[in-house]
Amino acid sequence: MSAVVDNHAHDHGHDGHHGGYGGLMRWVTTTNHKDIGTMYLWFSFVMFMVGGAMALVIRAELFSPGLQIVDPDFFNQMTTMHGLIMVFGAIMPAFVGFANWLIPMQIGAPDMAFARMNNWSFWILPFAGALLIISFFTPGGAPGVGWTLYAPLTVQMGVGMDLTIFAVHLLGMSSIMGSINIVTTILNLRAPGMTLMRMPLFCWTWLITGYLLIAVMPVLAGAVTMTLTDRHFGTSFFNAAGGGDPVLYQHIFWFFGHPEVYIIALPAFGVISQVIPAFSRKPLFGYASMVYASSAIAILSFIVWAHHMYTVGMPVTGQLFFMYATTLIAIPTGVKVFNWVATMWKGSLTFETPMLFACGFLFLFTLGGFTGLVLSLVPIDIQLHDTYYVVAHFHYVMAIGAVFAGFAGVYFWLPKWTGKMYDETLGQWHFWLSTIFINVTFFVQHFAGMAGMPRRIPDYPLMFETWNKISSIGAFGFGLSQLLFLYVVLKCIRSGEKAPDKPWEGADSLEWTHLPTPVPYHTFDPQPDLR
Amino acid sequence: MALSRNAKTGLILASIAAAWFFGLIIKYWVMGG
Repeated sequence: MSAVVDNHAHDHGHDGHHGGYGGLMRWVTTTNHKDIGTMYLWFSFVMFMVGGAMALVIRAELFSPGLQIVDPDFFNQMTTMHGLIMVFGAIMPAFVGFANWLIPMQIGAPDMAFARMNNWSFWILPFAGALLIISFFTPGGAPGVGWTLYAPLTVQMGVGMDLTIFAVHLLGMSSIMGSINIVTTILNLRAPGMTLMRMPLFCWTWLITGYLLIAVMPVLAGAVTMTLTDRHFGTSFFNAAGGGDPVLYQHIFWFFGHPEVYIIALPAFGVISQVIPAFSRKPLFGYASMVYASSAIAILSFIVWAHHMYTVGMPVTGQLFFMYATTLIAIPTGVKVFNWVATMWKGSLTFETPMLFACGFLFLFTLGGFTGLVLSLVPIDIQLHDTYYVVAHFHYVMAIGAVFAGFAGVYFWLPKWTGKMYDETLGQWHFWLSTIFINVTFFVQHFAGMAGMPRRIPDYPLMFETWNKISSIGAFGFGLSQLLFLYVVLKCIRSGEKAPDKPWEGADSLEWTHLPTPVPYHTFDPQPDLR
Repeated sequence: MALSRNAKTGLILASIAAAWFFGLIIKYWVMGG
């Protein structure tokens, strides 16, 4: 079972000094990529729990037909904020946290290219999160428009909408600065001999994600800026009452929104591409094709946006174009899934917690991908649009795909980060509880959706009751299971057994082969020569 | 003052982001869609 070896003891003279400050000021002023990565990861976990609590309010209300717990307006606020917080506050910062921790170590760099900007990128986030939360306490409450912030509802909301727009601006600034930092670090700070095609795949997926973010976050910022001017400065970009076009907003939003799916998915692919080879004790199958497939996914993501909008009344030729373009994405995605399976094929497999989450990702993300293929087909999507089938689909991709990859990554690198081993038994309990309950939550939503249950409603006909009851039970089970994850991480930090330098036999990137465990505060100064 | 390689790369990337942001608004505001 165990894959523990200890054959890379190093004696590094430079180690754990933290610069000029201690205590809280260390974290406020730090420019160290490891500190900032840690803050990103903890912030994302807090937001994950906040967004998760909102999901439980939604599922509690939907446990039975009729209105029991919250009024419909507050229900809409919950669905809106759940989506915004999970996407921008939880999942994206989590993978930026991984990037901060790992990219400099994996390419042999001493730190990120713009260390001070890195600090700023992070510290914008808590203020943006606070704006989203404060919006609940403004007259009219938080916006209840859905995370897509569709016009013309956004023009009609109270001051909470303005706070949300500013929050999106701040989150966008943070993401753009973070991605400029990551791309510059990868392009300019690689150690001698670390060519682009020798980089671990996690770095490749983040390089591509960085470009995606630089291209599409400004588009979202532009869209919400235009919404702001519609609300307060007399323009009518999206407000039909003034001659604007609400559908224009949808086009602009989804030009951002679909690449956003891959902004979340690609780093998850990167994590999985590190974990599976390590526990298969084989190199990643088809490295070059993985790089090209990731690039192809990113490029195709720019020409498929209107598959979210088949029902707005676009011409059939438009529907056909976006349908064919969308189905094309199945090809590079299939290449990736094939390569992960081929990596495992005839490997010397062990199934520690990171590998379990990676396998869970592989099976369930693929399931979510297949329902995406179903939804890409115009005649079917017109039936299923805005139903719970769509909710089930994107939660399989996001809630299972991205979050399971995040868990796999945390368990994989936790020994490297903390210098201690997590409790393997509890980690496996966390995996099985999460896997069972997440499927109980979302698998039944396919059936509710196919039976016609619309999304974003607090009440529903009696015929949907059974599916909703099962889904709500699963949601509470999944939510409680995450407390176990918190316990496992805290237990590891406080009282975990000392980890060897290389706890995973098959791990072969620089952070495992060239650095001790736990990693010193400053690493790779001078850079290693890998030629 | 000569810019460092990092600063050059960062400025190029930032200008791409700025072009997307201002390009979108200019297209629909100044050019009227």
